[in-house]
Amino acid sequence: MSLALLLPAGLAALGALLLPLLLHLARRSEQRPTVFAALRWLRQAPKPRHRLRFDEWPLLLLRLLLLALLALWLARPVLSGGEDGEPYVAVAPGVAPELARRHAAEGARLHWLAPGFPALDHPVAIGGAGIGSLLRQLDSELPSGTALTVVVPQVLQGADAQRPRLARDVHWVVVDGAMPATTAPAPGFAPVLRHDGEQADGLRYLRAAMRAWTPAGATPDIAPLAEPLPASARQLLWLAPTALPAQVQAWVREGGVALLDARTPWPAQAAAMPVWYGDEGGPLVESMAFGRGRLLRFTRPLQPAEVPALAEADFPRRLRALLAESAEPARVAAVDYAPHTGAAPWTQRPRDLQPWLALLIALLVLAERWLATRRARGPAP
Amino acid sequence: MAHALIPADVRSRLKDLRLTARRAIGAQGIGLHHSRSRGAGLEFAQYRAYEPGDELRQIDWKLYARSDRFFVREAERESPLTVWTVLDATASMDQADGAHGSRFDAARGLAACIAELALRQGDRFGLLALHGDGVRLVPPGHGARQCDRMLLALHGLRAHGGFPAPDKLAPVWERIGAGDLAIALSDWFDEAMPALAERLASARREVLAIQLLTTGERDFPFAGGHRFRDPETGEELLGDGAALRNDYLRRFAEAHRALDARLDACGIRHARHYLDQPLDLPLRRLFGARDAAEYA
Repeated sequence: MSLALLLPAGLAALGALLLPLLLHLARRSEQRPTVFAALRWLRQAPKPRHRLRFDEWPLLLLRLLLLALLALWLARPVLSGGEDGEPYVAVAPGVAPELARRHAAEGARLHWLAPGFPALDHPVAIGGAGIGSLLRQLDSELPSGTALTVVVPQVLQGADAQRPRLARDVHWVVVDGAMPATTAPAPGFAPVLRHDGEQADGLRYLRAAMRAWTPAGATPDIAPLAEPLPASARQLLWLAPTALPAQVQAWVREGGVALLDARTPWPAQAAAMPVWYGDEGGPLVESMAFGRGRLLRFTRPLQPAEVPALAEADFPRRLRALLAESAEPARVAAVDYAPHTGAAPWTQRPRDLQPWLALLIALLVLAERWLATRRARGPAP
Repeated sequence: MAHALIPADVRSRLKDLRLTARRAIGAQGIGLHHSRSRGAGLEFAQYRAYEPGDELRQIDWKLYARSDRFFVREAERESPLTVWTVLDATASMDQADGAHGSRFDAARGLAACIAELALRQGDRFGLLALHGDGVRLVPPGHGARQCDRMLLALHGLRAHGGFPAPDKLAPVWERIGAGDLAIALSDWFDEAMPALAERLASARREVLAIQLLTTGERDFPFAGGHRFRDPETGEELLGDGAALRNDYLRRFAEAHRALDARLDACGIRHARHYLDQPLDLPLRRLFGARDAAEYA
């Protein structure tokens, strides 16, 4: 446990300690006037003894302490270390709590390996962040000396493609049980085309692509701009020079994907990233995140002279690959997912002492006021 | 008005006190200055029946015409003694002493006591108050009217200023006659006061000195820092009471001894009075029972 100052220059405020010292030295009681006719016998002192004397020691000490604490407060003290090193047991959802308790050492803290890390006594919510992400968060938040035990069922859900690399050795315990599968909605492909007229550039190519995507027997949803989007729509092809209306923008923010024409202005100022390069090397389609959804835009007018890919046979397939969302594999055998070690250890975020100091200072101010204004007190600073 | 200056208990104790003057005894060949002794004089005292041997010119003939009997008109004989109260009324006398009042209050009370005693003895008495503007004089006289004049003057007095310059002290030399009794009431801090007393004493005036001191000057009870100010010179001294105390008390006692020796050297009887003591105590010390018995 060590104390550190984030702003040591704040200690310059310690110079203010001189203030109460001077206040208490300039003794106002020295000025108490006394008429004294026999002054001539008083005056013959060889030299008036001058020594430093402070009035009202308790008040002076209190004021000095108050100012010192204020200076310390300005210097922003933090306390690093000192966290409890009790072993931590993280239990993946799907493991029976009794089973997990059997593997926990005496005095260990038992928590679910779930967002927020609720205690084992509380029910756990399924879903959310992946298990690798949670492990990394736990590794960074725990002090480096704390032993970490992770109890997992045989099959994990929500894993990402890489074995996590942590800073500490993890006691990886695989027990019986199955992690409930996250019921994420399967990403669907339900494109909708909106255009501003039959004569629009490239409408015929996009319409052909829509027909190619649509299963036999169904009609693709191709309509003018004014037509509202159906609730099932997941992808929108917007073929118009006008900007996206507000409700369409809100729909994209909620997770939709919109492909815009080259003439359509971006609704937001953000860096766009090319996602499809033409054969000659230049970007064909740019993409940017927009809320939880995505915005894509052609960089050129949709004419075969500009975009040779329009005329290619695999244009619908490549466009679909661009628009569709694919679910990544997230199921893994727990034995194979045991974390590596060797990552750089995280520095623990030190505890900020400023609020506690502020509380202490407020109490001291009250005490100082009480001392300075109480009734049984002589004339003094 | 006299009641305001003399406390009742002091007044009751004044009865057995008498103002005595050593030199006045037999000075004018009559013997003791029994002020109550009746005889020829200006102030009417009483009528008494004629006795053989009385001078005929002493018979009040008008009264004889009214009552057909002889009465002798007796007058109070003038006292040979004049009692002067020399009252220091400089600013240093105005120093207050807590619940005991100021030094000047005590001095006025003493002056009133002296007037009361002199009135009872039939002596002439007068007042010389020395203050910053010069000398305030109440010419000597006797009788109840003179006592009233004296009390009126005392009530009107305010202590202020320094000791009067020597050229303003002329009334002191002109009025206080040889053989007169002069009682000086002062704090005796200013060098001019003992000098004046010495000169008066060497000029065959009988001088008595009463030094009035406050309890603060005797005990020096000041603790902590104080700004001491001399009321006459306006000088100021910053000092810590506890640190100054011992040296001050030593020097103050030395000053007392020096003053006593100086007064003794010129035959001035003296008494020291602290403000927390009864007012008649200094008079009792000066005119003690032993002296009073001499006059009985």
